[in-house]
This record gives sequence, C-alpha cells and structure tokens, in this order.
Amino acid sequence: MLNLKQLASKEKVGLAGGHRACAGCGFPQIISMIFGQSPAPVVSGCSTGCMEIATTIYPFTAWRGNFMHSAFENSAATISGIETAYRALKKQGRLPADENLNFVALGGDGGTYDIGFQALSGAMERGHNMLYVCYNNEAYMNTGVQRSSATPQGGHTTTSPAGKVIPGKTQYPKDLTGIMAAHSIPYVAQGSVGYHIDLMRKADKAFSIEGPKFMNVYTPCRLGWGSDPAKTMEIARLAVDTCMWPLYEVVDGQWKLTRKVREKKGITEFYKTQNRFRHLLKPENDEFVKEIQAEVDRRWHVLLSKCGEGA
Amino acid sequence: MSETVFMKGNEAMAEAVIRAGCRFYFGYPITPQNEVPAYMARRLPETGGTFIQAESELAAINMVFGAAVAGARAMTSSSSPGISLKQEGISYLAACELPSVIANVMRGGPGLGNISPSQSDYWQSTRGGGHGDYRTIVLAPHTVTEMVELTMDAFDLADLYRNPVLVLSDGLLGQMMEKVIFPDPEARKKDGLLRGRPLPPKDWALTGAQGRAPRFIRSLIMKQGALEEHNFKLAEKYARIEVEEPLAESLACENADIMLIGFGTSARVAKQAQLMLAEHGIKAGLFRPITLWPFPSEQLATLARKVDRFLVIEMNTGQMIEDVKLVIARERSLKEVRVELLPRPGGGVPFPEEIVARAREVLK
Repeated sequence: MLNLKQLASKEKVGLAGGHRACAGCGFPQIISMIFGQSPAPVVSGCSTGCMEIATTIYPFTAWRGNFMHSAFENSAATISGIETAYRALKKQGRLPADENLNFVALGGDGGTYDIGFQALSGAMERGHNMLYVCYNNEAYMNTGVQRSSATPQGGHTTTSPAGKVIPGKTQYPKDLTGIMAAHSIPYVAQGSVGYHIDLMRKADKAFSIEGPKFMNVYTPCRLGWGSDPAKTMEIARLAVDTCMWPLYEVVDGQWKLTRKVREKKGITEFYKTQNRFRHLLKPENDEFVKEIQAEVDRRWHVLLSKCGEGA
Repeated sequence: MSETVFMKGNEAMAEAVIRAGCRFYFGYPITPQNEVPAYMARRLPETGGTFIQAESELAAINMVFGAAVAGARAMTSSSSPGISLKQEGISYLAACELPSVIANVMRGGPGLGNISPSQSDYWQSTRGGGHGDYRTIVLAPHTVTEMVELTMDAFDLADLYRNPVLVLSDGLLGQMMEKVIFPDPEARKKDGLLRGRPLPPKDWALTGAQGRAPRFIRSLIMKQGALEEHNFKLAEKYARIEVEEPLAESLACENADIMLIGFGTSARVAKQAQLMLAEHGIKAGLFRPITLWPFPSEQLATLARKVDRFLVIEMNTGQMIEDVKLVIARERSLKEVRVELLPRPGGGVPFPEEIVARAREVLK
C-alpha cells in the first residue's frame, strides 16, 4: 500500500487540480486514495452525479486517466462493456498480453443504491474484473438533496422534509454493503473518507484481487448535510465511532471488522454536527431517536457476530 | 374562487395537481423539475395524499399505473432523460387506457444533454414515444398560469378519454417565477378544455369485485386478431380526439405578411417579436398550438390560405415544422409559399431580436 506521502508524489493519478467539487466535499479524496493504490493504469466510469458534473464541466476534464461518463443508472453496465471489450481484444492478440488495466465504476448513493442497483448487481454476478466504488453521502445531492435508500432514518431532505407530521425520513437505510456481500463476490468493503489508512488498505487489497469487487465509501456533503466544510473528516470519523457506519470487509465470504469501536458514542453526538438532524435533538423526538439508536445497536451487534467479535 | 399569487412554475404546477383532486404523486429526482417532488413531499401529506419517491423513473411511472388502474387520479413528472425511461410505462398506460398525467419539464438532449430549457421532445411526445401504436394527448403551456390551467385540464381530459396526457413545458417555464392565477377548479371544468362535458364514471377500475362481475384490464392480448381489434378501437378514440380537442391561439394571422409559429416558450418569445415587427411596419401573425397532439391542423389550414410566409420557431433542430408543412401543403403548394425555420437546439432560447431579423429575411 502506498502511504499518503507516496501517493502525493505519484503522478497522473485520479483527479487533477481545478475540479469544481465544493470545499469540504469528500469524493476527490476518495478518488485520490483509491486510484492511487492501483498498480496499473485505471479506466473509470461514473454515473451522473456531483462527481461527474464537478469533474467534467465541458470542455474541461479533471480526470487524468481514461474516463467515461454514463447515464444515471448504468455506470456498472458501461464498465462491464469496457472490461469485456478489453478482455476480448487481449484474447484476440490485438492488445499486448502483458499489459494490465484496472477498471473502476463509480456512482453516488442514488446511482448505486437506487436506480443503478440492477446494473450493479448484474455486473457483480457476471463476474467482471472490476471495482465498483459507491461514494455514499446519503442523498441525491446533485439534484438538490432528495432522499435515497441510503438516507438514514430521521434525515431531512427536500423529499423527506422534517415537519410537524413527519420527522424526516421514516425508513431505515438499505444495507447495500451486506447485499453486495450476499453476491458472494471475492471482495466487499465498507470504508469512510475520514479513516484514510483503512480506506487505502482496502483499495490496495481490492486491486490485488481478480474479479468483481465492491466498496461502499462514506463521505459527508456539507451542502446536503448542513455541516461545517472544515469538519468533513471529523464527521466522517464520527459516523464510524457512533457505529452508524462501521468499517469492515468481506473477503471470500469471511467478515472482518477493520476498526474496532472501543468507546461507542451515542448517535446524537453525530446529529449535533449536521443541520439535517437538527429536529431530532428536540425533546418531542426523543422516542424516535431512541428507536433509531436501538436499530443502530441491533445492526452493530449483527455485524459483530458476523465478524466473530464479542458484542 | 380564483387566486392570484407569485410562484415558481414547477411549484405552481404541483399545486395545480393537488387542486385538480390528484392525491397520488410518484416522482424521482431530475433537474429542472426537482421542485415538483419537493413540493409534493411537503404538501401532499397535508392534504391526505400520498407522495412516494421511487427508486427510478421506471418505478415511478408504474406506480402511476398501479394507482390509475385502481381508479385514482395519479401523476408523475420528470425531465427529458427521465421521460425516456418512462416510455415503457406510458405505452402500457395507453394500451390499458388508464387515465394519467405525466409532466415533462424539457431540457436539452439527446443523451444527458444539459439542464437548459429545450423543446426537443416534440416528436417523442406527439408520436407516442414508446413502442406500439398509440397516442398521448399533449398540452403545451407558455406561461405559468397556463401551466396551472392545462395541468388541471390534463386530469379531466385523461378521465374523459381514458388516456395518458402529457403536460409539456420546459426548464424555463418550470424555473421562472411570475404572477400566477389559480382558477377555481369547478369553474375550470367549464372554461377549460373539458368545456363542461360530464366525466364518465370509472366503471372499469379495479376496485375489488365485491358483488359484481370481475373486470379485466390488460395489455397482453394474444388471441388471434384480438390485438388488431383493440388497436382499431384505440385508433377510433384517437380519431375522435383529433376532431374534438385541437386547440391553438392565433393572434392577427388574417392576411398577415408573415405568420410566426411556435409553442410554449418559443411562442412566448415570438409574441414579443410580433410587437417589435409591428414597429417595423410588418404585419406578423402568431399561431401557437396549445395541443401539440392533436395538432390544430384545421385552424392552421384555414389561416394558411391567405398567408405566404411562415416562420416556425422551435427550441430544437426542427420537429414541429414537419406537422406545419403537412398542413400547409394541404392548402398551398410549398413551391409558392415559404415555410422557414428558426431552430435553437441544445438548450438555446431565441431572443425576440433574432426572430425579428429572421422574419425580415424570410420576407425579402
């Protein structure tokens, strides 16, 4: 694994400066940290979303490698096609046999959990040699903050508005990482932009494995979350320390916790850092918050037992 | 009671949906129509209605199918790329003759295109859009007030004909704020496109066959000759709509030096150009189809008899002009009249000055 210093000196990796992501946005770091671990050049594709918009404003591109933008629902399918063509051309001897490329499909949580889920599931089942990276900021941010199936319960978005009748999103978030593990693919991992060594280790491991890989990487969105852009990393770590976003990996079906949480913090510690949860801190929502805490605890204990850790 | 407010196009349209008695809205994010689902998420629960954000456009249109088949007024909205994804569902709605309203706040295409206002879905909207032999009624507003009125009318026409109705606006109308007059919904049933006609009972809806014979609604029609029969039945309905429903606005088209033809935003800009041309001493008429399908052929044909120059203004590379030429060719030889195009594709919006300059060229 390359450390941050080595990564910084590695040329022509990931994104060039001058992309237009917001201050405090996590995805540029995610790209740098993941792409930097690839020993081979990376061919990537991204579904429609902030990442694609902010990095490819015509006629510019911030991508240093080959990059393909697809529609909202199909980055996994587009990369499947590219990877298949590459394999076929190699087989026919039209590309050098000793050359290697890595293929990475990217999508936000809307493009991965919701509309792109079918294409993702298909690509993983077919077994393409590719890595799918979901950068999960828990809502459709590019279109102006709509709820997704990754939005946590109680989260305020423009389509799950917190008001007198409804306290934000009423449903629990989908456990996509678990669903991808159920695809029985060689590598599945959950990471956070705030724990960069853990994230880079996972990327390094993913690139060393042949076959379909999936990484679900957590990142705050200062606009959608109403959070301080200077505290992006801190908040991304807090999600892990409250067990709302545990860090783990599943290698060939073996679950492993990659960050043990010794002093688990309450979810309200996480809520305090973001406006989207402001309403949950009011006394009238105490019961609701208790319910959410119970569900977070339940999921945490299920994960611990899967990972063979004592609860 | 009518009500005058200052409001954004998308939000006004969403409010009109609620006032038209629709309580089921199914949406999915896409710019430039995001204000519609956001408004519905907030307002529908207050009215006892249901807002669902689907996981994709495909899911949203099929939720409309589900609500419509149960006899409820149901609606979805999107913008061009999302409307493409809904086409399968729209084809099924048309096949099963389910009343439904679909709003397309158009943006530039093809592909992901951009998020600027456009009119490039004219063909898709007026030719059916999805697979099979069907039509959807297409209403094209040019002001926010008209967006409100036509949205209300859309539900009535959908119920009257048991057919999907498209409200075709664009990013400009959806995003702009202006004075909006909300008509009284009951008054609108008389003044609007329904023209006071009574709505038929929904005696086809699947409501649970307690004490009555079961009803069937299907689009898979396999028996030899049965689909042919069904399609002829649909065609008869479409022919009836083509007689009953065409609507256009025409301003000073009688014996005009030139007729400006456009719908929606293009027509809105052309209205300004018409006034500017008058200052140059040019008598310009304006013809604005309000129903794009059925196309107001008879109205245009009558007016075209006494005009020799036509300028079609479209925010695309020229789609409606095909319908315009078909109609004019019925009355005149296209060799003796000029039918010209001012195209602004890919998110371009014409300036009135541009239309004036092009009109003067066409008159030379």
